[in-house]
Amino acid sequence: MNGTILRAEQLQAFYVLDMFGTRRVVKAVNGVNLEIRENEVYGIAGESGCGKTTLLKALYGAMDPPLRLIGGRVFYRVNGQDVDIFSLRPNELKQLRWEYISYVPQGSMSVLNPVIKIKETYRDFLESHVRGKTRDEIFEMAKEHIAALGLPPTVLEAYPHQLSGGMRQRVTIALAALLKPRIMIADEPTTALDVVVQRGVIQLLKGIQESLGNTIILVTHDMGVQANVADRIGIMYAGRIVEEASVEEIFGNPLHPYTWYLINSLPRFGDKGMRESVPGSPPSLITPPSGCPFHPRCPHTRPICREQMPSFFEPVAHHKVACWLMGEG
Amino acid sequence: MAFIRRYLIPRLIQYVLVIFLGVTAVFIIPRLTPTDPIAHTIAQIRSQGAYLDPATVDQFIQDLKELYGLEGSMWDQYVALWRRLFRGDFGVSFFQFPTPVSVLVGRALPWTVGLLLTTTVMSWVLGNIIGGLAGYFSRKRWAQALDFTAMVIRPLPYYIFAFTLLLLLGYVVRLFPIAGGAEIGRRPEFSWPYIKSVLWHSFLPALSLTILGGTMWFQTMKLIVQNVNAESFVQYAKLGGVKESIIVSKYVIRNAMLPQVTALGLALGQIFSGALITEIVFSYPGLGTLLYNAVITGDYNLIMGITILSIVAITTAILALDLLYPLFDPRVRYR
Repeated sequence: MNGTILRAEQLQAFYVLDMFGTRRVVKAVNGVNLEIRENEVYGIAGESGCGKTTLLKALYGAMDPPLRLIGGRVFYRVNGQDVDIFSLRPNELKQLRWEYISYVPQGSMSVLNPVIKIKETYRDFLESHVRGKTRDEIFEMAKEHIAALGLPPTVLEAYPHQLSGGMRQRVTIALAALLKPRIMIADEPTTALDVVVQRGVIQLLKGIQESLGNTIILVTHDMGVQANVADRIGIMYAGRIVEEASVEEIFGNPLHPYTWYLINSLPRFGDKGMRESVPGSPPSLITPPSGCPFHPRCPHTRPICREQMPSFFEPVAHHKVACWLMGEG
Repeated sequence: MAFIRRYLIPRLIQYVLVIFLGVTAVFIIPRLTPTDPIAHTIAQIRSQGAYLDPATVDQFIQDLKELYGLEGSMWDQYVALWRRLFRGDFGVSFFQFPTPVSVLVGRALPWTVGLLLTTTVMSWVLGNIIGGLAGYFSRKRWAQALDFTAMVIRPLPYYIFAFTLLLLLGYVVRLFPIAGGAEIGRRPEFSWPYIKSVLWHSFLPALSLTILGGTMWFQTMKLIVQNVNAESFVQYAKLGGVKESIIVSKYVIRNAMLPQVTALGLALGQIFSGALITEIVFSYPGLGTLLYNAVITGDYNLIMGITILSIVAITTAILALDLLYPLFDPRVRYR
């Protein structure tokens, strides 16, 4: 098994909003523990509004108000040493970005500067991290990189509005891989793309991961995509990871009722029956339910579920689940 | 070539069409008003107590008709107007008879253009740079202080602001002259003392226009920059560790400039209507006062001359803007 490359301990990140004197706290990430390994694709799944994107921001160290770090720590394994990213100076964190960890944003429709050519965007990212290169050398680097990933070299001369949505997404993924980072964080890279384009984008991402041998943290609510790409999956619910296991385990033997619903809502060949989805709607992150946050929607609720948040049980090796049904209550 | 065919030519046609329609409107509108300029002039002369015998009056009407271009049918008059315009002949002014309109306009134009071109460009450049920085660093103390100052200055009526400046810097502390465009008695010539005198006299009007104009640009730019700053591509570049200097100039300012470039083009076109209040407060020569005098004395030729100049100026500014805009925003470019 590979070593751990990114570790989160009891991570809590809340949005603290101050509206007309009333403080509202959105508990988007509430006590997340993660150990992500080298050379794996770690998928994070869960329905909209469960804190997936916020978790990524926190893992990336991008805490801009109103998002605040309330507690916990995040470590990167850099050159054999654990680095606590929240204790770094802004400059040091900036240096880690793109060279060590990069980010594929949600909705790459608007993440490229509309008034400059793609090659200029590449140049800006390169120039800010690579020293002592001339303009031509930098463009040459960008060209080689694009060609190596099998994208048409003409995209560099295009403006963002001249590219299709799929191509734009591929351009941003290639941009994130530009400096061969050890970790790439991808936030819903396939959302808003049609299925055929989705496949190309996923293959590109997977291809990069295989050739660089790095780690990808992939957030998507699309369980189909997760099944195709991820090695391990963490299921997120109401700001917490509720189940974590290898992809085979999650799909073959889902233990948390919420995971069960997520997987059961997927269509299957030959099965024409109605797909059953999770009853109810996602809980409020401002006033999360007491105890296990899933208990109001859970068909197997026990009294203890309403009172106490379950801790992780490991009924099968390397398969962790936070549910009272799995252990003594 | 596609650029010329699909971008340049339609805009040139539009340009010519707008000027044509504008001049036509200038021709038609005075003819729809109930006042007869000739009767108005004669009444004015009569009211001054002059006796006019019928023969003189007939002769007078004939002369006035010729001067105003009111001879013949509407169509003849219209064709004659265009013929005169192409010769650069706007007729004779009445309020300063018999100076040609082109001479009067030519005399006032350098003052107006000199003052307003400088102040418009200066306030645009200053307002945008300071506003851009204040928008980007909007959490900083100095940015909030600037924003507060702008909020105090901006709603001041221009004439009160200008008068205050004039009183403070021209009367209480006698740093600057309180009236005129140059020292009285000094002949216009291209020499250092004359230029110095012009600059000296223009300082207060320019200051008042630059401060108020600059505040306006400052506030708009600050708002636009704050919006652009929240755009995904700026946030993304920040997450990518792109240098802040590159983010400010190439990502934030370049995108925030787009609407400001449009506004500058329109503001430059406005120059040719003059700045009446500035000219009155500082007794500064220029087109604004000329137009004002033309209106109150019913000097139709002069009004038409200045109006047509304005139409041509604004249309030209918009054309220039249309032709230059693709350089700033690739999204409107034709391939």
